[in-house]
Order: sequence, then C-alpha cells, then structure tokens
Amino acid sequence: MLKKTLRFRSAQISVAILLAVLLLAIFGSALAPQDPLHQSVKDFLQGPSSRHWLGTDYLGRDVLSRLLAGTRTSVTTAAEATLVGLVFGAIPGLLSAFLGTWFDFIANRITDAIMTLPTIVFAIGCTAVLGNSLTPAMLAIGFLSSPLFFRVTRAAALEFVRAQYVESAELFGASRFRIVRVHVLNKVIPTIAVAAAMSASAALLIVSSLTFLGIGVVPPAPTWGGVLASDLSYLNQAPWAPIVPAVLIMLTAGALNALADAIRDASGVHVSLLSAASSKAATEEAAATELTQPGDDADPAFLGANSANPVIDKIDEEAADVNRHSAA
Amino acid sequence: MPSLLMPNEGKDHIMIRRPRHKRVLTAAAVTVLATVLSACNSGGGAEKASGPAGDNGTLNWEWDLPTSFDPVTSSAGWDAHVLGLAYSAITALDKNGNAVGGLAKSWKYAPDGKSIAFTLQPNLKFSDGTALDADAVKTNILRGRDTPDSRIASQLAEVTDVTVTSPTEFTIKLSKVDYQVPNLLAGKTGMIVSPTAIKANAAGLATKPVGDGPFTLTNYVPGSHADFVRNPNWFDASDIHLAKLSVKAITDQQQILAALQSGDVNVAYIAGSSVSAAKAAGFTINEVPSQVVTTLDVNTSKAPFSNPLVVQAINYAIDRQALVDTQQFGHGSPSFQPFPKNYTVGYDPSLANLYPHDVNKAKQLLAQAGYPNGLTIPLTTSIATGAVEQLQSQLKEAGITAKINVIPAAQFTNIVYIQKQPGLALDGTAGRESPLQMLEVLYDSKGLMNLSAKIPSNVQTVFDKLRTVPLDSPDYASTLQATVKAAVTSPGSQHIWLYTTPRILATSPKVTGLPFTLITQRFEGVRVAS
Repeated sequence: MLKKTLRFRSAQISVAILLAVLLLAIFGSALAPQDPLHQSVKDFLQGPSSRHWLGTDYLGRDVLSRLLAGTRTSVTTAAEATLVGLVFGAIPGLLSAFLGTWFDFIANRITDAIMTLPTIVFAIGCTAVLGNSLTPAMLAIGFLSSPLFFRVTRAAALEFVRAQYVESAELFGASRFRIVRVHVLNKVIPTIAVAAAMSASAALLIVSSLTFLGIGVVPPAPTWGGVLASDLSYLNQAPWAPIVPAVLIMLTAGALNALADAIRDASGVHVSLLSAASSKAATEEAAATELTQPGDDADPAFLGANSANPVIDKIDEEAADVNRHSAA
Repeated sequence: MPSLLMPNEGKDHIMIRRPRHKRVLTAAAVTVLATVLSACNSGGGAEKASGPAGDNGTLNWEWDLPTSFDPVTSSAGWDAHVLGLAYSAITALDKNGNAVGGLAKSWKYAPDGKSIAFTLQPNLKFSDGTALDADAVKTNILRGRDTPDSRIASQLAEVTDVTVTSPTEFTIKLSKVDYQVPNLLAGKTGMIVSPTAIKANAAGLATKPVGDGPFTLTNYVPGSHADFVRNPNWFDASDIHLAKLSVKAITDQQQILAALQSGDVNVAYIAGSSVSAAKAAGFTINEVPSQVVTTLDVNTSKAPFSNPLVVQAINYAIDRQALVDTQQFGHGSPSFQPFPKNYTVGYDPSLANLYPHDVNKAKQLLAQAGYPNGLTIPLTTSIATGAVEQLQSQLKEAGITAKINVIPAAQFTNIVYIQKQPGLALDGTAGRESPLQMLEVLYDSKGLMNLSAKIPSNVQTVFDKLRTVPLDSPDYASTLQATVKAAVTSPGSQHIWLYTTPRILATSPKVTGLPFTLITQRFEGVRVAS
C-alpha cells in the first residue's frame, strides 16, 4: 500500500515536506543558530539582517532559532494528540465490532457523550485542573478526537464481521483475538491511517490555536503557533513577520491532508466510510451553530468558509469563541 | 477593623493596554471581539442638542464598556470611567486626586470626626425628572450599604445612619473616625441613582442608568457600544461642549488603529506599541498620567518569600527601566510605590530609586538568605507572554529561576485574590479614589491584593493614624507619605512594584481640550471641531 500511495505526485511532495519537518523536529534545536530563549531586549522587533535572518521578536529573540527550536514541540504535541485519539478510539472501535452488542452499545453511548464536549473549552478545563502544560491539553484534545477514530474503525471493521473467511475462521475455532489480528486488522489499517493523517493535521492547527490562546505551552518555550500569535500583535512594527510561521503551519497541515487523500485513493478504502465520519462531524458543527446566539457571530476570519475539513471548522469556531471570552 | 476594604471592587487585575491580552475585565464577560459594523453614526451632530452654539461635536471614544451600569452592582473598578458619564457622585476628584465638590457643594466634619454634614447643590434633577435631594442621597447610601449583591457595601459598612435635615442637607454618621470618606464618595460608592428608577426596576439599572451625569444614555448594545447625549440639566453643563458621546468597545490594536483612521472613533485608548503608528497617521498622542501601576503580589506567608532578604533580592534583580522600554515601548516609568509621581499628595519622593537594578547585590542578598547557589520560585500570571518572560530572564541573571504558571484570566480573581494560592503573581492596580482605600487593598490583612493575608503591626498602626488625619490638615500629605513608606519598606512588604502605565489616548486633531485626570477620564472642556 505504501508503494501504491507513493505513486501519487501529491504523496511524494507531502512525504518530502513531512520528512523535512521531521528532520527539523529532531535537529531543529541543534540547527538553531542562536539560543531561542536569549533576549537582547535592546534589539527587539528588528527586521531581517545578517545576524537575525528572520528578524527578532518582541523580546529581541532570534525568530529563526525560535521557529527551528519550536518545531519539535509543535510536531510531538500533534503526534501525542493523534496517538491518544488512536488508542482511545481505534481499539474500542475494533473491539465493538467483535465483542457483542452490550459492549458495542456502551461504547457507542460513551462516544456520543464525548462528542458533545466542546474541544477547546474542555482543553482549557483540563489545563486548569491538571496544570497548564502541553501534555494535559493534548490528552484532552486527543481524547476528544477519539470518536472520529472509534466510528471510522468500527464502520470499517463491521464490514468484515460477517465476511465468509471470518466466519469460517470462527468455525475452525480461531479465537476472537486471532481473528481480529490476522483477518481484520490489516484491512482496517488503511482507513485508520487516513483518519490519523486527518487528525494529525487538525491537531497541529489546534496546538497552534491553543498556543495562540496562551494554553498548553508555558512561556518562554517557542512553538510555531506561539511565534505566529506574538507576531500578529506587533503588525505595526513588523508587518511581514507572521508570514513565515503561518507558511510552516500551512505546509505541514496541507501535506498531511494531501497524504491522507493519497492513502485513501491508493488503498481504495470505501469513500463512504470517511464521509460517514465527516458527516457526523458536520452534524455536530450544525448543532454548534444552532447553539450560537443570534448576533453572537464569531469573527468571520476564524471561520474558514467552505473548508474541506468540518472538524477543523468546528475547532476554529470554538477558538473564536474562546478568544472572545479571553478578551473580555 | 478596617472597614473600607473591598473584596467588592471585582478584580484589580491590570487593565493595561497590551499588544495582545490587553484588558482583563471581570468575569461578567463583556463580549468585545465585536467589530464596529454597526457604528456608522460618525460626523457632527445632525440633531442639535440644546447646548450653546458650536457645541455640537460628537466624540466617539474607544474604551471598555462597563460590567453593569448600576454603580452598586458593577464589579470592575474600571467601570467608573463610563459610569461617570451617566452619574454624578456626591464629591468629585480634581486632576490631582483631591476631593472637591460634586453633587455636594460643600461638607463639614463634626469636631469628633464621626459625622459629616453635606450641602447639596440646589435644584438638582435626575434624567427622569425626579428631584435629586437629600432623601435621594440617603436612599442611595443605604442601598449601597444594605443591598445583598452590593459591591460597595464594605466601603459603607462604617456608615451607621444618614440623617436628612433639609432637601439639600444631610449628615452621614460613622461608627468611627474616618476622614477619607469625601474621597471615597467621589467614585462608584458616591454615585447617586434616581430613587424612582430603583423602585421601579432596580435590576434594569444594569443596562438603563438613570442619574444626573454630564450625559444621558440613549442606546446601549452590550459588547459593542453605548451612545450618550449631553445632559442639558447637569449642574456643570456649561463645561460640556459635546452634543453626543459614544463609547465603543474594540480590543484589537490593529482594529483600533483602523477605527481611528476611518473616523469611526476619534479618541482611543491604545497600547504603547501602537503609539508610533498612531502618530504617523496624524493622531495626537495624549499621555495622561494614571494610577495604573504594575506590581508583583508577594505571598509573604509562603517560603521562600517569607524571608524578606529573598524579596529584596528580587527587587534588586529587576531592571524596571528595561521592562518599561520593552513592554510599554518607553511609555510610563519605573516605580517602587503604589502611587505615581503625579499623585503629589501620596507619592513619597524618598522612594524614587528604592531598589536600583543591581545583580551583584541581589546575589549577595540571596547568599545571605541562605541561597548561595540561587533558588527556584513560582511566578503566576494570566498574561502568558511579555512582561513575565522578561522578568524570568532578568531574575535568571541573579540566579533566580522563575517557573511560570499561566492561569486562565477568568480564574485570576478566584485563584489569586480569593484563594491566595500563588507565591508570586504578576498583577496591577488601577487606583482608588481614596489613597487609604488603595493602601488597604494592597497591604491590609483583608486586602484583596494582599496574598499573605497578614499586616505587619507597624503598618497597621500608621493606617489607623492616617484615617484620623483630616484631608485639609497640613499634616495630611506627610502622614500619607509616611504611611506609603512604612508599607513599602516594611520587612514583610507584600508588593514588588514595577512600573506605572500612563493612559495613552490617541485623538483626532479635531478633538481638543482633553482633561488629564488621574483616576477616571473626564470630558469637561472637550470640543470636537466639525
């Protein structure tokens, strides 16, 4: 499947971008020409120069070094959230197809309950209770993304519950665990991979928007979203500054999405499976919109109109909401 | 018991304009992301108010909207600015912060200092036509003291009774000597609401104020804007040269600049970082001295801050001028006490350079305190970037590792002021009408901003003494300054003062005559050319 995927031009480009990001994540701090935390406040908000290739930030720190050093935090946290979602979503999803109606019923109701929780508000709550650091915030985000994995995996697995070879394996006395491992898992994995790529790109954006809200990352640690947020506050002094972190975030999220598309095309995963998941998200979004008071419209800038990813749309809307409250 | 204390004023949490999390208002969330889509009533007054000819300008003021238009239930000290448009208080403050006549033209303390006889201006009327007389004042003071959800109750707790001797004369009786009352009554505590409106619908006052202020509210869209017209019946109406005044809440610095440039607002409260851009765009920059001072609240009940040497070391480790230069783009000045230089009566010049930046001295003090290899301290904030990062870096140079703990802005009041959890918290004060009230908020055992919940006995003594000194006594200023000095330099002092923040108002060149008032912004004498 990997080979098949890589035949797509979009996949090749995406993988190249993601490999570059991975390299930055591993070696970013070492590559940083200067200490990303070192303040030389006398030279704050300077433009690009031979000493500071991307200029300095509001405390005179080297922006290039901050972006390079911030890659690891940005990427690992996105991975962390995806992994949590995978564990809490995919495993119960797979089991619910095989462990009988009671397990299925309870798991579904729990998932429904999780879906009613608003992502960013929940993340804020978690950081308030567990302390403001990235891991609790990412646990929260990952946990709330688990319904996506649960539904996608369950739907994919259900297809095989009554497949003839599964039934015959059962008649031969194979254990459930063996059936899942041998006959189902590798058929479901492409679907989960697509969901994971989607979820990772969403998580990357959430990490950025959380940093934007001052949640998760404890200053002065750099992240892409943090650099972007601070740049936006000093547009008078450095109008060009937000472009670099914004491009980094867009490229990575775009590459993950393109890769997800390529995996789906290559694996021939039933399109309806994914659309089932995203139509659920769309319903959720519609519900969220209903709850919004008239005249309480979020800033249009936060609502990516016609975005291909309703999950992200919803998250952005919440970000706009939270923004408003923190400004109050 | 110091009864003027106030867990009432909502939060004192700084409302300084900052590049990003500029203002942190109270929990009563005023939604302010609002763009000014609906704000299109710019330009001179089409409908002429009944003021003198030429007084038909419209002032559009970018500022926060209040948590409530009812002075009794308003929960943010910051609200006083806008409430002062709709209401007049019993007294007023001059530009230096001294009590002068307001609704009351004069007052006199009884020789024992326990009762004050006020004389109101004649023929006062509320905007609803009700007469503003001594009975109305009595109703208001008792309402402020007794209403269950009153946020000013503790300031009025020492009032035992109000007796009315004639329609313009009343006497406030106190349970103990307190010469600070006239100052206190210049703020929300002394704002007088129409008794007719209180009787009809007290809850409605939150959005429909009925007072006798320089302006009358005509239209209010919470979270967006409030429109006022000139009140021709106000006792000082001849000083108001504006036909209309609108308060518009915008928070984003870029949006504020855009609103200035489009003419949507002609007076805006901006951050230091926006000054050069506003200047370049042709706006006048007015740096109004204010009582906003940034501080670190120190919990001297918790180690290591219980050791005065550690607190002193932190004081020496901080480079305040660098903070002013970077955080406020040079606007404001380093501060070592709760009052700014312009508050001449309370500012103690001997504290002007109390802790000069001296890293070696800080290290030496730490060694003396038993931390020769430095130490780690917590640093709580709700504003995650900026000052707190710079402080952390400055402290590092002296061997102090500050671990930043970011708490949600909405929980600041609860975590810091009520639970008093943090050891060290970045905070700030917006000032109070009465200097003793301010000092008690900061240093008294029940003070909102005193995290240690303790007061050194020598400080308590000077507080009690200050209360008994009449405001017009020749000893008042020296006593107040001695009180400030005692509170600031006492070994268990609970604040590390950082810097003052001026109220930076960018105005269109058409706006003239903006008065520089220390505590609340006033508009007497302001004109807008058409």
